[in-house]
Amino acid sequence: MSPDQLTALLNTELGESLAGKVPGEQVTQLERLSGGANNETWRLMWGNTPLVLRRRPFSADSIDQLEGNILGLSLADEAAVIQLATSTSVAVPDIHAVFDASHPIGEAFLMGFIPGESIPQKWLVDDTYEVARSRLAFQCGEALGRIHSIDCSLLPANIGPTTLDKRFAAAQKRLHAFGDISPVMQFGLNWLIDHAPTEAPCVLLHGDFRTGNLLVDEQGLAGVLDWELTHQGPAEEDLGYLCANVWRFGHLQNPVGGFGGYDDLIAGYASTAGWTPELSTIRYWEIFAALSWGLVCQTMGALWHSGNGDVERAAVARRRSEAELDILLLIEEWENA
Amino acid sequence: MSQANEQTTASDVTISELLGAVKGFLMDSALPALSGRDQFNARVAANVLGIIDREQQVGPELAALDAAAAQQWLPGDSGSGTALQQLSRALAAREIDADTDFFEYLKQRQLLVAAINNPRYASRKVAEERWRSES
Repeated sequence: MSPDQLTALLNTELGESLAGKVPGEQVTQLERLSGGANNETWRLMWGNTPLVLRRRPFSADSIDQLEGNILGLSLADEAAVIQLATSTSVAVPDIHAVFDASHPIGEAFLMGFIPGESIPQKWLVDDTYEVARSRLAFQCGEALGRIHSIDCSLLPANIGPTTLDKRFAAAQKRLHAFGDISPVMQFGLNWLIDHAPTEAPCVLLHGDFRTGNLLVDEQGLAGVLDWELTHQGPAEEDLGYLCANVWRFGHLQNPVGGFGGYDDLIAGYASTAGWTPELSTIRYWEIFAALSWGLVCQTMGALWHSGNGDVERAAVARRRSEAELDILLLIEEWENA
Repeated sequence: MSQANEQTTASDVTISELLGAVKGFLMDSALPALSGRDQFNARVAANVLGIIDREQQVGPELAALDAAAAQQWLPGDSGSGTALQQLSRALAAREIDADTDFFEYLKQRQLLVAAINNPRYASRKVAEERWRSES
């Protein structure tokens, strides 16, 4: 849908949803933000209030039938989790309206706009964010500790507990479904199965807590975005994911998201969670995160083959080679440690 | 381009040169004329041309490496599919002893794959330094 078409549609549909919540009569300055391979993200003005629209532009029934939630939650469930997170002191936007797939806008939700820098290539290097960067690993640990404290009994029914065996089986099913084209991915999955940590209680995980999904201002962490991969699992999964090579934007020397060190992350986490995660378990989940990124790339390729998406999605399929390289590097480091 | 013979003018245009020409068009002509998502995708498309160019150069070496691996590690009757599929399925079935030699094969193949798909990925430099000397 073009920006003009979407503006016209929103002008027809939003008035009722936002009445009494956000003053305004029409949409201006609609602009698509970058990122989000599954969902479109648009920024717009409603009256004088900046808002953000998350919208799923396609039907992915064929992929949804596969187990696991690599493609992400429904946007209604994502919105519900964001609302739950507002009960902690994690910085998340207010949810103003939720639309299901039968609505003319399509599956979507509308939320507040949090000011801050979302482009890692800027906040990872600009002097303006030097203080922010020095605090950020601790702050991310704090935020994750808070997210993990959310009562799982309040979650939407689709976000249930799981086990490592189920996760491995889901990954294996995907590797088969995607044609068994990567011996490195299969080698990585075998290794993860053989080195699995002791099963730990499930907590609510953000599921996509990485440098590209953080909003940063001069004081540090300003917002946590993109909750579409939220699921339940062991706490160290979120911590390891944040440290995955692929999300360090080339700053490999800073293991936490390209900006911080393990000690600060773990200390921040302990300060809100009340316990101290083991570094070795976090590193295990870094390898799991590499495999997951490879599976996301394969999912993008499969979606593109089914006619959904443009050249970017086809190109992302090739980024599987990053995941494969990291799987081998990290396993070698583990074995040599 | 060869400058071996000053008396002739090169007339052949190689695949790499064609891809370079298209990339030049995308970056120098199309990209400035586009905006928003289309401009972003023009840049992606130019990068994709680089993948194609590198794959047509490195692909044969990679295929030979995979064929040799299939020869070495697959049991006699490995079913249908490409060498990669047969290796993947044999791994999934735990029919391959993923020993040091096999890990070495995976590393060497991955150096080539990374060189094709994403030569600027930061981990590749680490892998090149660590693994290139082993081959």
